[in-house]
Amino acid sequence: MNSVPLSAYLVLALILFCIGLYGALTKRNAVIVLISIELMLNAVNINLVAFSKLGPAPSISGQIFSLFTITVAAAEAAVGLAILMSLYNRRKTVNVDEMDQLKH
Amino acid sequence: MMENAWIIPLFPLISFLLLLLLGKRLKESSAYIGIAFTLFSLLFSLLVLWERFTSPTYKIGTEWLKIGDLSITAGMEVNQLNALMLVIVSLVSFLVHMYSKGYMQGEERFSVFYAYLGLFTFAMLGLVLSPNLLQLYVFWELVGLGSFLLIGFYFYKEEAKQAAKKAFIMTRIGDVGLFIGMILLFWETGSFEYDAIFKAAAEGSISEGMITLTAIFIFIGAMGKSGQFPLHTWLPDAMEGPTPVSALIHAATMVAAGVYLVAAMFPLFSESSTALLIVAATGAFTAIFAASIGLVQTDIKRVLAYSTVSQLGYMMLALGTAGYVAGVFHLMTHAFFKALLFLAAGSVIHAVHTQNIEEMGGLWKKLKITGPLFLIGTLAISGVPLFSGFFSKDEILVSAWNHGNYILFFLALIAAFFTAFYMFRLFFLVFTGNQKKEAQNVHESPASMTIPMLILGFLAVVSGYVNTPWFGTFLGDWLTKGNHYLEHGHEDSPVWIMLAATLVSLAGITLAYMIYSKRSISRDWLGGEGSMMYNILYNKYYADEFYNLSIVRLTGIISVFFSYIDRFIVEGLVNGVTGTVQKLGKIGSRMQTGQVQQYGTIAFFGLAVLLIIFALTGGIFE
Amino acid sequence: MNLDTLLSYEWGHMAPEFIILAVAALLSLLDLFLPKSYNRRSLAWIALVGILVAVVSLIGLLDSKSVSILHDTFRLDSFGKAFKLILLIGAACVILLAESYEPKEGLKEYRGEFYYLFLTGLLGAMVMTSSGDLITLFVGLELLSISSYILAGMRKKNPGSNEAAMKYVINGGISTAITLFGMSYLYGLSGTTNLKEMSGAMSAQAANGQFLYLYGLAFFMVLIGLSFKLASAPFHMWAPDVYQGSPTPVTAFLSVVSKTAGFVILLRIILTLFLTMPGDDTQKLSFLETHSIYISCLAGISIIAGNVIALRQRNIKRMFAYSSIAHAGYILVAISALGYFTFDAVWFYLLAYLLMNLGAFAVIQLITDSSHSEDIADFAGLYRRSPLLAAGFAVFILSLAGIPGTAGFIGKLNIFMNALMTDPGHFVLASIMIAGTVISYFYYFGIMTQMFFRPAASTEKIKVPAGIGAVVVLALAGTILFGVAPNTALDFLHNNFGSFNDFLK
Repeated sequence: MNSVPLSAYLVLALILFCIGLYGALTKRNAVIVLISIELMLNAVNINLVAFSKLGPAPSISGQIFSLFTITVAAAEAAVGLAILMSLYNRRKTVNVDEMDQLKH
Repeated sequence: MMENAWIIPLFPLISFLLLLLLGKRLKESSAYIGIAFTLFSLLFSLLVLWERFTSPTYKIGTEWLKIGDLSITAGMEVNQLNALMLVIVSLVSFLVHMYSKGYMQGEERFSVFYAYLGLFTFAMLGLVLSPNLLQLYVFWELVGLGSFLLIGFYFYKEEAKQAAKKAFIMTRIGDVGLFIGMILLFWETGSFEYDAIFKAAAEGSISEGMITLTAIFIFIGAMGKSGQFPLHTWLPDAMEGPTPVSALIHAATMVAAGVYLVAAMFPLFSESSTALLIVAATGAFTAIFAASIGLVQTDIKRVLAYSTVSQLGYMMLALGTAGYVAGVFHLMTHAFFKALLFLAAGSVIHAVHTQNIEEMGGLWKKLKITGPLFLIGTLAISGVPLFSGFFSKDEILVSAWNHGNYILFFLALIAAFFTAFYMFRLFFLVFTGNQKKEAQNVHESPASMTIPMLILGFLAVVSGYVNTPWFGTFLGDWLTKGNHYLEHGHEDSPVWIMLAATLVSLAGITLAYMIYSKRSISRDWLGGEGSMMYNILYNKYYADEFYNLSIVRLTGIISVFFSYIDRFIVEGLVNGVTGTVQKLGKIGSRMQTGQVQQYGTIAFFGLAVLLIIFALTGGIFE
Repeated sequence: MNLDTLLSYEWGHMAPEFIILAVAALLSLLDLFLPKSYNRRSLAWIALVGILVAVVSLIGLLDSKSVSILHDTFRLDSFGKAFKLILLIGAACVILLAESYEPKEGLKEYRGEFYYLFLTGLLGAMVMTSSGDLITLFVGLELLSISSYILAGMRKKNPGSNEAAMKYVINGGISTAITLFGMSYLYGLSGTTNLKEMSGAMSAQAANGQFLYLYGLAFFMVLIGLSFKLASAPFHMWAPDVYQGSPTPVTAFLSVVSKTAGFVILLRIILTLFLTMPGDDTQKLSFLETHSIYISCLAGISIIAGNVIALRQRNIKRMFAYSSIAHAGYILVAISALGYFTFDAVWFYLLAYLLMNLGAFAVIQLITDSSHSEDIADFAGLYRRSPLLAAGFAVFILSLAGIPGTAGFIGKLNIFMNALMTDPGHFVLASIMIAGTVISYFYYFGIMTQMFFRPAASTEKIKVPAGIGAVVVLALAGTILFGVAPNTALDFLHNNFGSFNDFLK
């Protein structure tokens, strides 16, 4: 029934995490940056669910954990976008690299 | 009375707090509060000292801090050394309080000044009463803080601000040494208490190397506070503070704290001959180094500052050559005559409104009280027989000689010559010769200033007689009685040392007289008399010239050389370190570009580096 | 699970959390329904009363034994109680600061949110201190973080505040993801989210090198993720920007409450999980002991970076951000030199830091608000304008610098002793700490020089609002009391919390 090994899921999650991290650190548009962070969090969800089903010691709590993660990630994204809105209202830009008033 | 000795530091603290709260309302009558409370301190100190003559050491302590199962106590101890110190500190502080009433008159922040004085006196008295290193360290820092406030009192002067900062930071460098030494000792013995440490050191439960190491660290602390080379540079700069402050800080209290520390820790030092040698060598070098710089200074207070550094070097030399009594003895006599000199200098400055000795002259007739008192101080510090400095300095020379370190002995002897020379140069330039333009309307200082000077002048003469080879060594016997860590043998003091010391100081005085006094007198003659006199004088001038060329030039070169060391190597080192730190800060600050993604990248690299190191060292690939 | 089991739990042990939750909910409702014209400043007092009631209920719980409810997800042990006390005191002071906060453009209708978001942040931190499960730890952490993001951007019309919030969200999001990634591995390998069970599983599995390695990776991910929260170098770079841009009470909150919470969760996770897990095949030393060098490195870099860069700052809040990075480094020294009194040292330092830093921020808020600028030069001549305020600020600075007679000195001494008493002693770290302390004198005394030795730009007297005055007095009393008689605090700690020996049970 189950032919996909655990390691495949873990590698997928790792790749997703790295893509997310890359995006979060390189993209100019703050919306993309926030989405990239979501990617990183989703990579964690894949990990959790895969472990909960196929891990060395499978248990249901991983899936519960992932539910919490999804909820919290949504809240974080909402807050991030709200802050971006108010920033946009003042500065008329969503580019992360233009947010450099505070430095040195 | 001894069990109530803790009350002594509290008086100045109360004075400080009262003045902090009420100072604005009290204005100049703040002085009375300060004077009254330090008088109480003085009276109690005298009682404690009196009682200590007959009763044994008193010690009390309670648990103060518990770290794990280690317990650290706080309390107080009254032994011979600190009973004596209590009197010295409270007496000088009291006199300075009195003196300041006249000197600081009209100062806008009069009450603040008295408040600071109270804080400083409190810290110093607390330091003296501490029975353990940690408590001493606490007050040690507080003394540093007090000096920071006092030296920077004229904060609108840029130099004063710089000097205050410098004093604080330079002494902090020493404090770090003290802290490390203290922690190492605690680590070795599990206690901060003097007694426990001495016991462990005497029993040999600390290794020889460790004793040397800790003693050196503690000595670094003492070097910072007592202005020993190379941490001395703050001391002359600190002369930017008001003159009474100089008298308090540089005669009896702060700078004496370093000597006091070494004296209090003497049983530890005496277990390590290396540590003693370092103390002695540093002391001797500082003594001659500072004395030679003192030769060319033109600011009256700076001359005294360098002489303080030099005299502190003497004390360290005494302690380093196992002359515990000699060191403490000189600490006491120096406290009196140096306070006298500073206060007298303050009185001179008060009268002529300049600190440049080249602009002074002929003040002897104008300042009928200050002049003779200054002369007494000068005679005492120069080691002229029958004055206090003579006996204590002689004791130090004997100690150096008996210890068998002849190089240090001769260094000390030369330093004594320098001391006599520059002190009398100062005296002659200020008090004899022509009156300069600036010194026309001079007047003697008010009684509140002259009375403290009279008291100190009296002490500067007689305080030497408590420990003389002629009338008995009361001080030495008493200081070492019942303290089995210190042995005070009645060492035979060769008479020739006393003669040599006298000779050297008289030579210095004579030289100063010929150069700075005789020449100026001769100038008067030159105008009035004929050519015959001129010739005689001309020849005399040759003599002067001879001195000038051979000795003065030589010492001049030495002192210039030392000033350069001072300026370039010592300060250069300090500047180099601060420069590096500043540069690092600049780099770090530049990295903070405001780009949030760059922050993330740096953090990611941090993570990556940690993971790579982990993978390579402890990971699966082994 | 039925109603009976639900009712059988001793909910009383969550009383402080419930109180904070109720007050936060009440405030949000009041804020919603009160008329727009109503001055919401009075809500701060409700929040304050709520926190004080929570403190009282926590003190009532001090004697109770260590309990755990909800399947061991919530533990009220002495560790939780001790640190909750710090968090509550800190939050109470921050609320007092927030009450008096008056930025240039005003807070207007957001003022209500301002107060209850502090409470939700506090709630998150409190849940973290008491949680025995990864899920509750994570939820607590995120509750605190998300509240802080909004708080940082509370001045919606201020570009600095917007930018600070955005930077905080981005960096915080990344750090959350890293922490979670590590946590997912912890869960996956052990098969449980309960910390205690996990610790047992890990010890059993550690004999297998593969597992040990993966746990090691997870350890680093969690450590680094949490290092963001602590702002230890090199994960500190968001901190100066965010501290500078945020409203001052929020900066105080971040530097005190949020940082304390970060240390709490760090201690919870790494001590529970990695102190019992063997570090190598020989099984002699625990994982934490064999790998404490990494934490030492973070501590050393933090101390150096924080102090050195602080030297160059002209903005007072930014300077305090760097100083807080250095202080995080000092506390990490205690954690890396794990010894008998690490807990005591960390607890005492956090308490001392709370007092001195909040006191300092109270004064900073007052001065920056009245001069509408955050330059250090604004402190010039403070002594002339308000001698008592200047004296108070001086005490806080002296304490931060670690001058004897203040709580900061005792805290540093504790950590220092702790670092030297362990075997082998952490000499290098101890000397870095001393060097860092010496460097810090330069910038701390720069402020002192400004206050005492510079003429004032304006001679206007400073009016001290009640909230700020209360914080200054409280912090001053605490700083001096714990500096002069540190045993008052340490005895309290020992009498009520023992030596935290119920931490792992």
